[in-house]
Amino acid sequence: MSRRAVTFTRDQIAAYAEASGDRNPIHLDDDFARSVGLPGVIAHGMLQMGIAATVAAEAAGGPDRLRRLSVRFAGMVLPGDVVTFTAEPAGEGKLEIKAINQRGEAVLTRASAEYAR
Amino acid sequence: MVAVAGRTYPAVQFEIDPDRVTDFARAIGADPAEGVPPTFAAVYSLYATAPQLFADEDAAVDFGRLLHAEQEFEWSRHPRAGETVTSKGRVASDASRRGMRFVSFETETTDADGLPLCTSRALFVIRS
Repeated sequence: MSRRAVTFTRDQIAAYAEASGDRNPIHLDDDFARSVGLPGVIAHGMLQMGIAATVAAEAAGGPDRLRRLSVRFAGMVLPGDVVTFTAEPAGEGKLEIKAINQRGEAVLTRASAEYAR
Repeated sequence: MVAVAGRTYPAVQFEIDPDRVTDFARAIGADPAEGVPPTFAAVYSLYATAPQLFADEDAAVDFGRLLHAEQEFEWSRHPRAGETVTSKGRVASDASRRGMRFVSFETETTDADGLPLCTSRALFVIRS
């Protein structure tokens, strides 16, 4: 099983916004995020998926082997949250992925990957 | 709002810039030496095409009420930094139920030879 615990930071969220091009202010501007009913800036779901992919790639024996990855975005991730990502074998060429925060809540659900062996 | 299932958008060319790949890899905690991270597909496939849907006046997607609910990528091959790829977006389904609108947006990305690289499937939920 591959596992990685990540403490999300504003800097990491801002770096992902810049590199990905998704500069939606809900990820960058606390005042804006609050104005749309969020507790403050939140991490991109695609940042969570990106980290999950690194864990899946490790379990698969390298990123080039990944053939499919799917997730449902189930919960918000805020700066300071600690999310533990795991990928474990779920049959031939298949992985089950989990992403659980410090309160034991799944932030990604129905998450799975397939890889070339 | 018009349901726009089946609508396709013009192909978008995207050059995979090595510096941007390095920044992206660092942001997700991947090793830049391992090449283009698989989920860089978010950039060359999904983000390259989804703005066409969001700018489509017929589709009338209210971006402020939009939630990215699910995402899937399938890869035939992972591109290398420096490649130019072509992505084409399509509304696979568009349905409203219980006051919510569910838009499934698919993007096919191919390489310079027209061979398949990646299929992105995003499910957007728009609250009314």
